[in-house]
Amino acid sequence: MAYDDLRSFLQALDEEGQLVRITDEVMPEPDIAAAANAAPRLGDAAPALYFDNVYGFNGARIAMNVHGSWANHALALGLPKQTGTKEQVEEFIRRWDTFPIPPEWRDDAPWAQNSVEGEDVNIFDVLPLIRLNDGDGGFYLDKAAVISKDPDDPENSGKQNVGVYRIEAKGKRKLALQPVPMHDIAQHLRKAEEKGEDLPIAITLGNDPVISIVAATPMEYDQNEYELAGALRGAPAPVTKAPHTGLPVPWGSEVVIEGVIEGRKREIEGPFGEFTGHYSGGRKMTVVRIDRISYRTDPIFEHLYLGMPWTEIDYLMAANTCVPLYEQLKREFPEVQAVNAMYTHGLVVIVSTGKRYGGFAKAVGMRVLTTPHGLGYAATVIVVDEDVDPFNLPQVMWALSTKMNPSGDLITLPNLSVLELAPQAITPGITDKLIIDATTPASPDGRGNYGNPVRDLPEADEWLTKLRHLVK
Amino acid sequence: MTATIATPTECPRCGYESLQLLYSSPVAGAWEVHQCRRCLYCWRTCEPDRRTRRDAYPDSFKMTAEDIRDAPEVPTIPPLRQS
Ligand SMILES: [Zn+2]
Repeated sequence: MAYDDLRSFLQALDEEGQLVRITDEVMPEPDIAAAANAAPRLGDAAPALYFDNVYGFNGARIAMNVHGSWANHALALGLPKQTGTKEQVEEFIRRWDTFPIPPEWRDDAPWAQNSVEGEDVNIFDVLPLIRLNDGDGGFYLDKAAVISKDPDDPENSGKQNVGVYRIEAKGKRKLALQPVPMHDIAQHLRKAEEKGEDLPIAITLGNDPVISIVAATPMEYDQNEYELAGALRGAPAPVTKAPHTGLPVPWGSEVVIEGVIEGRKREIEGPFGEFTGHYSGGRKMTVVRIDRISYRTDPIFEHLYLGMPWTEIDYLMAANTCVPLYEQLKREFPEVQAVNAMYTHGLVVIVSTGKRYGGFAKAVGMRVLTTPHGLGYAATVIVVDEDVDPFNLPQVMWALSTKMNPSGDLITLPNLSVLELAPQAITPGITDKLIIDATTPASPDGRGNYGNPVRDLPEADEWLTKLRHLVK
Repeated sequence: MTATIATPTECPRCGYESLQLLYSSPVAGAWEVHQCRRCLYCWRTCEPDRRTRRDAYPDSFKMTAEDIRDAPEVPTIPPLRQS
């Protein structure tokens, strides 16, 4: 089941009992963010929230926590809502095998119905902007897909980028946008600024649920997000040309904002409560000038609360962080079994692998650090044996408890790159990284006294089935 | 909920007294959004005191003129290409 827009997905969530409508009047702050803060605490089947009675607004519609549980994440991928975490990651890997699926160009996007341009633009007229956390410097957009092209190679669709970046509304047609240096848009901006040019961008809000997932996926520089969306949907992603910039944008968005990042200009921004569970800012950040906003009639403002994990963002960058790392490791090391990079966008990465020979697990750990995503994340890498499930944290703790000897299994690499938001860095952007080898040493590495491991009894599986029947 | 909005006179975050009205609620008289001209902090008048009043604003979130002056550029502006 592929959803072409946010509205059809919200309807599906509603039918599955995964959407709660809050019809009583709420205050824009702190009610909406507080409710979205609380929602994931309901557990793996937490619902999305829909507000349509917000004090002081006429007919504002706000959807929160749309991807904020494993149940909703499963439904976004067209899977049954009971599908387990590891199973969702495995299905993601299977669908990635069909990548790339080229997008389908469509006309008459619903958001082309209304538009405003130039000096008439006022983003507050179109979107019911709200503050998320107490220390935020203002009202943010943190679930929009931002589309840009490589200014040195604008016709190369592989080098175009669809990503999620932190955006602050700072005026009626002025935004701030944070390009993390490890992300593709930062490369686009650097090239534009080296040439003394502005960088045209489109910012799309209220996207179909798979666009949000691919926009948050750490793909390689020349991989096209829409072609991954097609693979994940099992059908080409519907796209269309944005009217002002000509950039390829989702057909099904609620709102499409077009403009430029103004070249060689910076202005105070933030702070903002980030996905690390800490505030970051204020820093002098890029400035966006909005030239045009197109929007569906009665647009739904889809927004995302983030704070101390887990919140919606942790679900939105869980499976999609594991899979590209798995694919990149597997290319060179087919012994790799599974990758869990679900914690804080992969600042911790757990890899299970078979061992070719002694020392091999450490090589796998070092490769994690040099993947495109590892350059900005992967502050700690834990490598476990192939029979340990990296998604089963009690098993990972068992491996740490019994397979790891600090004298030979902790490798610290000084002064490596990390995204500036990582709070543990000494200088923002530079940190030591750690590889923990929690695998059983393999020949000729003879350390430890492992002897024979205790294995599940061959009859245990049969008994598990029998017991499940008896306890029903 | 009160329908009279008291116009703020100082930024809750940095104490600066030059503010601008950014937006007024679509339902007249419900709230306004103001912005500090120095630190660019934005707030809605109906938010809790801890976000709107200087005397209730948490010290750890306050910002000074020095903080703004010394804020790092993200990302740094690269040199122009020599053509
Ligand atoms: Zn101020």
